[in-house]
Amino acid sequence: MGTIKKGTTRERNEFVWGWAFIFPTMLGLIILNIIPIFQTIYQSFFKTGDFGKGNIFIGLDNYIKMFGDAEVWQSVINTFKYAIVEVPFSIAIALVLAVLLNRKMMGVSAYRTIFFLPMVAAPAAIAMVWRWLFNSEFGLLNHIFGTNINWISDPAIAVFAIAVIGIWSIIGYNMVLFLAGLQEIPRDYYEAASIDGATGINQFFNITVPLLSPTIFFVTITRVIGGLQVFDLIFMVMDKNNPALYKTQSIVYLFYQNSFVENNKGYGSTIVVLLIAIIMVITVFQMIAQKKWVYYN
Amino acid sequence: MKRRNKILALSLTAAMAVTGLAGCGGSGGSAGGGDPKAGLTVAIWDNGQQKGLQEICNAFTEATGIPAQVQVIEWNSYWTLLEAGASGGDMPDVFWMHSNEAVKYMSNDILLDLTDKVAASTVLEMDKFPEDLKAMYQWEGKTYALPKDMDTIAVWYNKTLFDEAGIPYPDGSWTWDEFYEIAQKLTKDDGSVYGFAANPSNEQDTWMNIVYTMGGCVLNDQGMSGFDDPKTIAAMEFVDKMVHTVMPPASTMSETGTDVLFGSGKVAMITQGSWMVAGFKDNEYIAEHADVARLPKDAATGRSVSLYNGLGWAASKSTKNPEGAYQLIEWFTTKDMQQKQAELGVTMAAYEGVSDQWVNNTDKFNLTPYLEAMDDVVFRPSTKSTLAWWNPMVEELKKPWNGEEDMATACANITAIMNEKIAEEK
Repeated sequence: MGTIKKGTTRERNEFVWGWAFIFPTMLGLIILNIIPIFQTIYQSFFKTGDFGKGNIFIGLDNYIKMFGDAEVWQSVINTFKYAIVEVPFSIAIALVLAVLLNRKMMGVSAYRTIFFLPMVAAPAAIAMVWRWLFNSEFGLLNHIFGTNINWISDPAIAVFAIAVIGIWSIIGYNMVLFLAGLQEIPRDYYEAASIDGATGINQFFNITVPLLSPTIFFVTITRVIGGLQVFDLIFMVMDKNNPALYKTQSIVYLFYQNSFVENNKGYGSTIVVLLIAIIMVITVFQMIAQKKWVYYN
Repeated sequence: MKRRNKILALSLTAAMAVTGLAGCGGSGGSAGGGDPKAGLTVAIWDNGQQKGLQEICNAFTEATGIPAQVQVIEWNSYWTLLEAGASGGDMPDVFWMHSNEAVKYMSNDILLDLTDKVAASTVLEMDKFPEDLKAMYQWEGKTYALPKDMDTIAVWYNKTLFDEAGIPYPDGSWTWDEFYEIAQKLTKDDGSVYGFAANPSNEQDTWMNIVYTMGGCVLNDQGMSGFDDPKTIAAMEFVDKMVHTVMPPASTMSETGTDVLFGSGKVAMITQGSWMVAGFKDNEYIAEHADVARLPKDAATGRSVSLYNGLGWAASKSTKNPEGAYQLIEWFTTKDMQQKQAELGVTMAAYEGVSDQWVNNTDKFNLTPYLEAMDDVVFRPSTKSTLAWWNPMVEELKKPWNGEEDMATACANITAIMNEKIAEEK
């Protein structure tokens, strides 16, 4: 009797304290994320007035306009091009680096710090530096290679040049997550595999990758979402006179242009609702697909 | 002991929740009366003017005891932040207003109404300011901003490159055809130097001046698009010819910016507004190699038209110190401070006659052409909702600039877009 009562008090305690500890985060999420999501969806049915005054309900007009708007679909293509380059490369490179840095060697923390540094720098500063590296006239890249490539103003390649900046800035973060995941893999597996004569590459594909798959899955999900939301790099690197802008602007960039520059918040909201829908569909597919390749111990 | 720990943890949790909230709350609107000694924040977008304006603000603080701090927010973010502030109730107290955006702010009751205070003022001489400029910042009979400055456009040329090519410096009597010939001579075949540079977004400071000089217009007498006027089209075709023969590739100009290309000796001439002087003065290369000439004339019309515009000083309706905000605006608008603004080289003054001082603010360049340009000026075109057609207009011009479309087609498209957007305003 006594023990049961004690157990329930403890359970109740855990329940109360559990909620108390996640309460600040929940509150932040609700106020800063969840309520705005519904407000945005609501706003997408309006022709908005200046400073949020005088909104007129127009039903699905914004959506009808969007489905016929070539600029929106071009931005969807641009965003996918960016994500398709950024996500796999940033994950693959970070994974290899994490494996190489997950051992005892001289200056390992120095290397880890160096690769993580881009994560500490402000995205706007990173973009400004890369903008000058890529500059066709005075840029370091063209200077070193002796080329004359319009990295960021040739519509065919500009979006990939921006993806390179994205890869460079995110590698360190992915690497740290992978390093954390690698610590969980018991040494014994590798020892056993070595005795059986498996090479390093065999071990990587048959031990490291499967056992790291929950981390890889997490990184993939968050990177796909992050990649589809790309904005700051494009905003900082691409001037509005840039001839490649049309083939580079992402969905969020277009949302920013419509909402804050042209002051059409209703249409901007509609564009961002499309992005939410795209991200949700892709994430659902990833959750289904994980059953095929992610191993939880 | 254990209990104390729990209380501690709980209060920490509560503290986190509270600080989390405070971050997004910000300071709300203000109380009715306000605090007549409260400090003022002054928002501007031009780095080059900060130092001079802060000096004028310091003099204001000395005279009135009200602190005033000048903050620079870069042009692209300025309007986003100002609008967010206007919607959320947390705006700077005193700030610059521009003709592109003025109507939106005035018609939505965001700005402090200055009408009665200006009428009652004993120090302001409003008849000394240009009519167009005053009218720009009035809405339905009320005044919401007072003129800060005036700007005109002139040609900047690289003396060293002129010397190398053996071309005499321009004295301002040239025509656009002569300008084009000179630009051709300055353009080197190997692409190391180009005669001239302009982006589609160099509207006010470049191509619109050519349009008005050649007898065209951006907005016609009926307030609709002037891009179907044959003279406008002819002028734009002249611009197009220059883009493709004497300017760097459009991609280079967009990546680097025409002022940077000029400041690195890559381009021999650009046209720029008087607001750039403060920045150019501090650029070592430009200070050493460049000088200023008046915009060329058109051979047929004989005119050399410069666009002009002027900013206004406005205050937020929700400021904590409306009386102080007005006093600061009045301070900026008095003859003495207009003259001081000119002397310090911040910009030309809006007040009639004191800009002579501005010409003498530096001995590095001859700034007289900017003053001479005042002889024949056209006010920067604007409608009730200027940006609605202005941005698509610039966007469309990127196509002929990149050689994707001929200029006549672009002009036809711009006419259609502008007329559609202007019709929506009514």
